[in-house]
Amino acid sequence: MDNYRPAVGTPIDQLDTPCLLIDMDALDNNYAVVAETYRDTVCKMRQHTKNIKSPRLANMQIQAGGTLNGVCTAKLSEAEVMVEGGIIDVLIPNQIVTRDKIARLAALNRLGDVKVTVDNADNIETISEVAVEQGVVIGVLIEVDTQMNRGGVRSPEHGVVLAKLAMSLPGVKFRGVMSHQSADGWPDADERMRLSKELIGICLEVKDAIEAEGIPVEMVSSGETFSYAAAAQILGVTEVEGGSYALMSNIYGYLDEFQVSNKVLGTIVSTPSPNIGIGDFGMKALSTAAAANATIEGISGVTIEEVQDEHIVLRSDGTEPFVVGQQFMLLPGYQDHMPNRWDQYIGVRKGVVEQVLDIPARGCHH
Amino acid sequence: MERPIFKPIGSPVEELDTPTVIVDLDILERNISTVASFFKDRKAKLRPRVDLHGCPALAHMQLAASDTVGGVSVATLGQAEAFSGSGINDFSVRGVVVTPQKIARLCALARHAAVTVAVDNPSNVADLSKAAAAAGVQVKVVVAISTKPDRLGVEPGQSAVDLAKAVGDSAGLVFDGFMTIEEKLKVDDVSQLAAESRGWTQRAIDAREAAEAAGVSVNTVSVGGTYNYEIAGATDGVTEIPAGSYALMDAKYRGRRDGLEPAAKIMTTVTSFPEGDKIITDGGNKAVGMDRGNPISVEFPEAKIGLSAEHGNIGLKTPTQKRIKLGDKMWFTPWDMGVTANLYDYMNAVRGGRLEAVWDLPARGRYR
Ligand SMILES: Cc1ncc(COP(=O)(O)O)c(C=O)c1O
Repeated sequence: MDNYRPAVGTPIDQLDTPCLLIDMDALDNNYAVVAETYRDTVCKMRQHTKNIKSPRLANMQIQAGGTLNGVCTAKLSEAEVMVEGGIIDVLIPNQIVTRDKIARLAALNRLGDVKVTVDNADNIETISEVAVEQGVVIGVLIEVDTQMNRGGVRSPEHGVVLAKLAMSLPGVKFRGVMSHQSADGWPDADERMRLSKELIGICLEVKDAIEAEGIPVEMVSSGETFSYAAAAQILGVTEVEGGSYALMSNIYGYLDEFQVSNKVLGTIVSTPSPNIGIGDFGMKALSTAAAANATIEGISGVTIEEVQDEHIVLRSDGTEPFVVGQQFMLLPGYQDHMPNRWDQYIGVRKGVVEQVLDIPARGCHH
Repeated sequence: MERPIFKPIGSPVEELDTPTVIVDLDILERNISTVASFFKDRKAKLRPRVDLHGCPALAHMQLAASDTVGGVSVATLGQAEAFSGSGINDFSVRGVVVTPQKIARLCALARHAAVTVAVDNPSNVADLSKAAAAAGVQVKVVVAISTKPDRLGVEPGQSAVDLAKAVGDSAGLVFDGFMTIEEKLKVDDVSQLAAESRGWTQRAIDAREAAEAAGVSVNTVSVGGTYNYEIAGATDGVTEIPAGSYALMDAKYRGRRDGLEPAAKIMTTVTSFPEGDKIITDGGNKAVGMDRGNPISVEFPEAKIGLSAEHGNIGLKTPTQKRIKLGDKMWFTPWDMGVTANLYDYMNAVRGGRLEAVWDLPARGRYR
């Protein structure tokens, strides 16, 4: 674990690199876009913290607006971090199946309202048993597979069976349905709307089938960054699980209302030839997903030649020769994995450090 | 920070909270002794490359077992700082240290540990010398020899000799020798591997010979790794091998290195079994790691493994006849354990299926 906490006001050029930056102006912009999008809609943002792993960053969106004051987390331990950060309305859109983890989920529900998604009858029964033992009630949503091919029911009928089961058992409260879709770059807004309607529609069919049985469906949690605007317009969706939009990355360039705010600051440590610069971080600090489609800022005319484990090899077209000691910034292709590899963000504005933000949910695999 | 539910020492491994790293101590000890027996009474010594796991407990096992130089190899200064808290006091940093902040940290470390750092540039030599002399410390310096054009280091000829001399003439610095800063060779063919690694090693040997011909004495020539330790370690003129993967091993080296088997695996839990040919687990890319290649499923070695960020997806060719229940364990051998270890704060050391120790990984995430 690193514990790098430069003083507020430190100029960027005095930072000890590599470090994981947040451009605070860009972040504010992204949070303002979401606040504006959901200002007057019934549907609200429930920010997914997998991309930020920091309750402080989640609380900033809650303050900016557009949210339902809650978040989603990928894992139970990430939910604990958020509850400790003062966010008590949490949805874990994932399955928690072992008894000892369910007991921990129950313990968290003494303070928070921490809901989980289910796709299996045995799992619902175990949650019920453990919740009753612990004297709490745990909210459950039926996860619907719409595209991802992982967890989730594959038919409205299965959704109805599970919803009825949840309704019949003590210690669990049926809350609604959830689905997640993946973005592989759908630049055209009309096409995004069409696809969002089609995929989220599969989840809404399950909702309709459950309601047809006289069971009220309070929550429909669906939608993510690529569909954030579309989902807010789809009748029935109550909340959107946007994650990537906050810190952003190059592959979402088609959503040009957002800006990339998560960048890696590095230093050129060697120039073996005039057009080659070796930077002081590599794949370990980035991930393949971040390295693919990454771009370089701060030195003009630069492309990435190779990402080694601990170094990055940059090539210049000759516009600006590399100098040992010179800094540069890498904008990630896909940002999600970086907060899972770093212990602090350095928040910068107008060229100086504004705040150091810990990443307490880094490594929260459990 | 990882937040696993800890289980008592002696617990059966299947009861540990997942996803998690499990190290089989019997296999680990065999791997360590395989490499130790190679280095026994050999001129070249092992310098365990410990940034591939970040674990002091494991580093001490490596240092205790083999004919080593008595110190470790790390990729960054921050890793050296992390290990220095655990009684290790001899570090070789496989990289150059150029900024004023880092040079100051290097000199601070050199007060209580032997520190070797690489250089490839004369003005860096001057900066290091000024700082070391001002701090009243001695820093050992090796000249980095590039493995191919346009990579870190200098050519083995005159520029290497000039740098060596410049170091030798600098207050606060001690010229120690040459080092190649290598990426792992990604070749399967054994003879090609031997040829390429000999080529890299030869460049460092060339530098040594050129320096000695110019009257500069050379103490250290550091080259190679797990992929070629027998080749590099048997080459005249080579003094140390910074090999590290041999201890925990991984899928990338499995079956390619005699006497070495994967000792580290990731244990995950089945969280969903939506279709007979698809098993979903709690170990995705963030927990298993796939930067350099896909992991291999232990239970279903032929399966297609898909890892989204938070979920593992074992895709079977045909529906399995095994009875799969939620909560069952699924194990994976990571493709590159260096990538995977960097995702964790702990490793579980297990013997005979029971937990023997929980090891901290304080050097994780030390990129600076
Ligand atoms: C269940 C779930 N919801 C929401 C998200 C966030 O998606 P995005 O980053 O596209 O906003 C993810 C990301 O993988 C997810 O798994």
